[in-house]
Amino acid sequence: MTDYVSRRTASGNIFLPKKFQGFPEIKEALIADRMQAAFMVAPMAIALRSQGVPIKIVYLGHRYGSAVVVRRDGPVHSVKDLVGKTMAIPSRFSDEHLILVRALKANGLPRSAVKMIEMPPPDVAGALAVNAIDGFSMGEPFPGQAEMGGYGRLLFKAQEYWPDFMSCVLVVRQDAIDRRPAAVQELVDGIARSGLWLDAGVANREHAADFVGRYYYNQPPALLRWVLTRDLTRVVYSPLAPRKADFDLVRDLMLETGLLDRPIPFEEYVDTRFADGAAGARPWVFSAASTAAQ
Amino acid sequence: MSVKRLVGFLLGWVTLVTAAHLWLNADWSALWNDRLPLDQRKFNVAYIPVT
Repeated sequence: MTDYVSRRTASGNIFLPKKFQGFPEIKEALIADRMQAAFMVAPMAIALRSQGVPIKIVYLGHRYGSAVVVRRDGPVHSVKDLVGKTMAIPSRFSDEHLILVRALKANGLPRSAVKMIEMPPPDVAGALAVNAIDGFSMGEPFPGQAEMGGYGRLLFKAQEYWPDFMSCVLVVRQDAIDRRPAAVQELVDGIARSGLWLDAGVANREHAADFVGRYYYNQPPALLRWVLTRDLTRVVYSPLAPRKADFDLVRDLMLETGLLDRPIPFEEYVDTRFADGAAGARPWVFSAASTAAQ
Repeated sequence: MSVKRLVGFLLGWVTLVTAAHLWLNADWSALWNDRLPLDQRKFNVAYIPVT
């Protein structure tokens, strides 16, 4: 979204977006410096930093936007019905894994009550459709895809068990931060402006669904429109500044589930100065009727 | 059809397909960006098609 709009401004696009199909590949590309920045699930970013990979979280990608979906005609109608079932998650190092653990715990169940398998996000809806899994915990638009396709049913949205839930975060390599802080700030500003623009109303979200679906996600715009506009709180795009309390919660869940071996401090994996710099950002001036943006 | 015309046609076809491939499938902006000085390059930003 930020790329599409910024290309239409006088200063032009500010980064080159590269589509991946899974988080492990993003991780490798980031370590190898083929990518200078990436959107990835927060626990993976924290784990990488904890292992010494020189990256920092500088902003969030969105809030909410993840859900647990089960077969529409299946026997699962509550979290307690998940016992013994096979659930797909994008990665062990994902908020979608942690939300499932949190929901199980809230219902008095251990993590081992459910068989969790890692699966690339684009594959989960198809796997559910052919009964290869009993359900999945994943970010949109895949819950929406399963619902729209008629074979999936929302068991719960992430925010039901985790208020202020966040998932994808923007991470930047430390050498890029050190050498080119102005470029990082421009990127964060653009994402902040996109978030405010998306949250300004249904018309903007409909427009975004159209161009993001066609040119970036390679998904039907109707699916993204369904996800973004049926319920505006299903995914929200502001505020996106990283907050210590949110990350402490993720870190503590990671320690609890064995994904981290030490309580890494917030300041070691988050750099808040770019979010502070974007605090006064204003939404893009852009509409479906215009070819230029400001 | 003479051999000369056949070869000319094949060469033209290969040139056309190659040009179309380079136009449609090569990521010229990325290739160009990789050759710029470090401080002028745009960041490559990875994403997956999920919110």
